[in-house]
Amino acid sequence: MIELILNDALWSALAATGFAILFNVPRRLLWGCALTGAVGHALRTVLVETVDMPLELATLFGAIAVGILAQWCARHWRVPAPVFAISGAIPMVPGLFAYSAMIAIIQSTTLAAPEEVRTLLTEGAVNMIRVALILGAIATGIVLPTLIFQREKPVV
Amino acid sequence: MPETILEKPSLPYEELADVIDLSLLTGQLLLQHGADTARIESTVHHIGTGLGCTWLDILVSPNALIITTTSGDQFRTKIRRVTRLGVNMAMIVTINDLSRRVYAGELDRFTLRKELEAAIDAKPEYNRWIVVAMVGLACGAFSQLFGGDWAVFVMTVIASGMAMFVRQELAHRFFNIYIMVTATAFVATLVAGFALMLNLSENPTIALSASVLLLVPGVPLINAAEDMIQGHALIGLVRGVIGGLISVSIALGIIIAMTLLRIEGV
Repeated sequence: MIELILNDALWSALAATGFAILFNVPRRLLWGCALTGAVGHALRTVLVETVDMPLELATLFGAIAVGILAQWCARHWRVPAPVFAISGAIPMVPGLFAYSAMIAIIQSTTLAAPEEVRTLLTEGAVNMIRVALILGAIATGIVLPTLIFQREKPVV
Repeated sequence: MPETILEKPSLPYEELADVIDLSLLTGQLLLQHGADTARIESTVHHIGTGLGCTWLDILVSPNALIITTTSGDQFRTKIRRVTRLGVNMAMIVTINDLSRRVYAGELDRFTLRKELEAAIDAKPEYNRWIVVAMVGLACGAFSQLFGGDWAVFVMTVIASGMAMFVRQELAHRFFNIYIMVTATAFVATLVAGFALMLNLSENPTIALSASVLLLVPGVPLINAAEDMIQGHALIGLVRGVIGGLISVSIALGIIIAMTLLRIEGV
């Protein structure tokens, strides 16, 4: 279990750091991005593995952790929180589901048997719904801490 | 209206013009490099009022900014088009810092202009080959998270690293973003597909799906959600649509490559 979590956190940290470099995040802030990415994704994995939580809900909690950590890092380094939140959310992106949905839908157009078409379309639709839910959970989760802890009177 | 209106001296007309120009430049840089709308609004407002305006109003649209600066009984309004969109977190960090210093009264408009110009001319944080290597490794990390083996990892790193190189070359030549994304996804799938044909692994699908992840429109999609939730529904919608179009472009690139290689992808 510990090994699984460490493994998961390590690869998530690498994914978050790689994307942080793609987004031109200054060097001194990379640790924050790696930490945010590792904790968010590892928490999601733990929730799925230990309490059998559905992936979508676990993603919401993972993203909330990303949002809180991003706020903390932002305060620590005195920089905007999205620098950490966006890089940190990257490892949770549902790439595999999006890919499967696309392949299933495309293949459904090349088959003749209605039965097969129906199976593929169902598979594609389910995967697409999962993609939409996971993306929604990521976005909501990382914005929630800001909305709750930083309710300033708008300046403009 | 805030009480400060009574306290602040009126700015001369020329100075008001300079302040609005600096506010537009700041807003443009933020919009261009991937800041969310609420941040653009508050940062630009702080810069304008920090430089002596009594009030500054800003309207952020997906590809233009309208700003009005007010001082005493005078005001100026200007529009600026913002066309190139990309992501540069270093720029957002720098501007956040500048805006805080302006608001604290540590920077005047001349120094601010110098600092903004320095930020525009600043070199990217990382050498392009470091970006290629790290983006390749990041996609490789994704393949591990998806449960791939080491063969898949190596395939993914090579495919996405080459795709990243192609993306840099195309971006350098100012190609349309959707063409750039389609071409990059095509290259990633082509390279991963070749590797797949060598039958090195039992679950090569993971390499195909992980190697295009460098194109994931994370910033537009997250900003879209953030803008929507914070009441900027219009910009949120536009950013969401841009993210959707990028995803469709990725799919198009993958399909073209798969058709050429005659692979099924499952």
